[in-house]
Amino acid sequence: MLKVDNINVYYGNIHAIKDVSFEVNEGEIVTLIGANGAGKSTILKTISGLLRTKTGDVILKGESIKSVAPHKIVAKGLAHVPEGRRVFLAMSVEENLEMGAYTQPASSIAPNMQEVFQWFPRLKERRRQMAGTLSGGEQQMLAMGRAMMSGAKVLLLDEPSMGLSPLLVKEIFEIITELNKRGMTILLVEQNAQMALSVAQRAYVLETGRIIMQGSAAELLNDDSVRKAYLGA
Amino acid sequence: MSLISQIISQLVNGLQSGSIYALVALGYSMVYGIILLLNFAHGDIIMIGAYVVFYAMTSFSLPPLVAVLLAVIACTLLGALIEKVAYTPLRSAPRLSLLITAIGVSFLLENGAQLVFGAGAKNVPSFIDGGVQIGDVYLSYVSVVTILVSVASMVVLTFLVQKTKLGKAMRAVSEDMGAAQLMGISLNRTISFTFAVGSALAGIGSVLYICAYGQASPTMGSMLGLKAFVAAVLGGIGSIPGAMIGGFVIGLLEALVTAVGLSTWKDGVVFAVLIVVLLVKPTGILGRQITEKV
Ligand SMILES: Nc1ncnc2c1ncn2[C@@H]1O[C@H](COP(=O)(O)OP(=O)(O)OP(=O)(O)O)[C@@H](O)[C@H]1O
Ligand SMILES: [Mg+2]
Repeated sequence: MLKVDNINVYYGNIHAIKDVSFEVNEGEIVTLIGANGAGKSTILKTISGLLRTKTGDVILKGESIKSVAPHKIVAKGLAHVPEGRRVFLAMSVEENLEMGAYTQPASSIAPNMQEVFQWFPRLKERRRQMAGTLSGGEQQMLAMGRAMMSGAKVLLLDEPSMGLSPLLVKEIFEIITELNKRGMTILLVEQNAQMALSVAQRAYVLETGRIIMQGSAAELLNDDSVRKAYLGA
Repeated sequence: MSLISQIISQLVNGLQSGSIYALVALGYSMVYGIILLLNFAHGDIIMIGAYVVFYAMTSFSLPPLVAVLLAVIACTLLGALIEKVAYTPLRSAPRLSLLITAIGVSFLLENGAQLVFGAGAKNVPSFIDGGVQIGDVYLSYVSVVTILVSVASMVVLTFLVQKTKLGKAMRAVSEDMGAAQLMGISLNRTISFTFAVGSALAGIGSVLYICAYGQASPTMGSMLGLKAFVAAVLGGIGSIPGAMIGGFVIGLLEALVTAVGLSTWKDGVVFAVLIVVLLVKPTGILGRQITEKV
């Protein structure tokens, strides 16, 4: 479904991503774990087109998207929920959701929004409220709902648990699992490795821009070095 | 003439020039809001609009309404063209390069106009004459039309920005360019659209300006542009309602300064306002803090 093939990404002279390759198959949840500054967000931004790779390729459904403009990648069925949510604070919940459906025909906005409201009933209550007045958890829901409005089949999630209470983290992860059950392919970036490994089927471990380990989520959950470095055990 | 009617006359004068400042300030603010560029060529677009009206009415003897339409169309196209040719290639360049380019474009337009149209001012035939006497207040039709057209343009703009898909995209891009792209919004299209709308407003402003002052000259855009820029900063650069408020405040302030007999100090007072705003509240009346994101 999504294939990252030997990418190298730079910020000026800083070589942030080094020879990274991985794959997400249709219907999978794959997680990318790593410490602060490992390069997780950089990889997601490269997939969604905000950053460019110097080498290799990014392939979505068999088609290279490494030189496709970001706004056209969304239309190909890949949505990216960025780190820190980045909802439009000066716009209402409804307007944020409309923006999520920017590439969709106007007729699909209403039904898509109803569906998002079923996933996140709290957004429905607050639909006329400015996004800037939502709580962190609600903003995360809005960011995810907004991405779902695009009708995407592949979802990139960058630290959805960041700054949320344990209860909300649980709620968000239940929704991620449920979305996946209904056919969504998900690439999940997390610092909360415990949570991420408990919902994912496979995982890659990133360290200073390189993939240093990969395997099934269960394998990594039981791996000593992973437990030491990322699970605080 | 009683004090009251003097105040009313000055108020009308202030609102008239204020509405022109507001229209021009909107262009500065919208463009700044979306790409953080102080588009110093914006004032000169007005000058081109004024020449279009002049030539349309004199050389081609077109009716005023057609001349006005041509001016607005010409300004819209020119604004979008400048953005494509001069600013789009600098999308990822440092902001200072963009600013210097804007100043360059401004020089190009002013000097180009001098070369093509001549350095002297051209008198544009007036096309809104007369007025009404209400008590001892004389209300010229130009003032009335200027204020009405400006307010109507602002209502249309507000609708455009608040309710239409492109308008919402504009707000999204100006709040967070990266996130907007992730929604599927095309930066190029949205930015071109912003320039086009801002320039169309400048076109309307240019027509209203020559209705009031009857002259087109190659440098007319620079003072008008600077004052509108002050209005935009006063209102809070990047804010659309801020630009409207700032424009009217500057216009009324000038009228006030004139009313108390200090008309030679008019320009000085406007720029003093800029300095005070920058010192006391750099974000202006309605401005927001702009945070930069990838
Ligand atoms: N805009 C930038 N300019 C220069 N260097 C950057 C920029 N963004 C990220 N980097 C560097 O690239 C590396 C990877 O950053 P990235 O944001 O991808 O890490 P991350 O794994 O997402 O970290 P976190 O968990 O803190 O979000 C870091 O060393 C970071 O300092
Ligand atoms: Mg990150």
